[in-house]
Amino acid sequence: MTPALSRTLNILGLIGICVVLMVAFVDQLAFGELPCPLCLLQRAGFVGVAAALALNVRFGPRPSHYGLMILSAAVGFAVAVRQMLLHIAPGDAGFGAPFLGLHFYSWAAILFGVVIVGAAALLLFDRQFSFDPGLPTWSGLALVALGLGFAMALGNGVSTVLECAGGLCPDNPTSYLLLQEGGLKNFFAP
Amino acid sequence: MMSLPFFGFTLAFAGILAGQRRLAVALLALSLIATLVLFKVHATDALPISL
Repeated sequence: MTPALSRTLNILGLIGICVVLMVAFVDQLAFGELPCPLCLLQRAGFVGVAAALALNVRFGPRPSHYGLMILSAAVGFAVAVRQMLLHIAPGDAGFGAPFLGLHFYSWAAILFGVVIVGAAALLLFDRQFSFDPGLPTWSGLALVALGLGFAMALGNGVSTVLECAGGLCPDNPTSYLLLQEGGLKNFFAP
Repeated sequence: MMSLPFFGFTLAFAGILAGQRRLAVALLALSLIATLVLFKVHATDALPISL
């Protein structure tokens, strides 16, 4: 696998992870399902995977970048499995509405598993790590993917501040803490 | 508090865009550690299963 092909695959992976984060945002903003603390930590795992992919896109593929990708996915996987186990007892309806038959945390566990296996498989191709002086630093698609990743990281940060204010999030959030009475509304009141 | 990892990752992305690889890697690693610490804080409920 050439460095250029590896970079292309990393760009596509980065866009794929951004799509996952955008689906979560649509569910939050359009359907009003606020993410729970464990949901937020799974999002953080995805953003970590996105940042590791972005390192490969910007600086070329390196084993250390894949290592960070696997570690980020492992953290997200652990959180997702923890949430699955919280709702594994018979009769438990789970947290949130199912999406395509599975809850978001079940999808997250599957996707983190795919990332771990995918990154480990890509590590098998040594030729991608050879220095390629002709490899361009930027391409249009790479720039779009990096911009999307940056926007997803920042958007989740801002959304989390609105939802949880400066502290830890409630276990079952029903509203944006910072937008309630006594939050930002008082701050901007005349 | 819960937003810390996201802002850490945001800064890591900024480092990537600015061409600062070492800074971006350090910020990514720190944000991952922050995520793990927050996970430890939130993983307090007993699981409804007996193993």
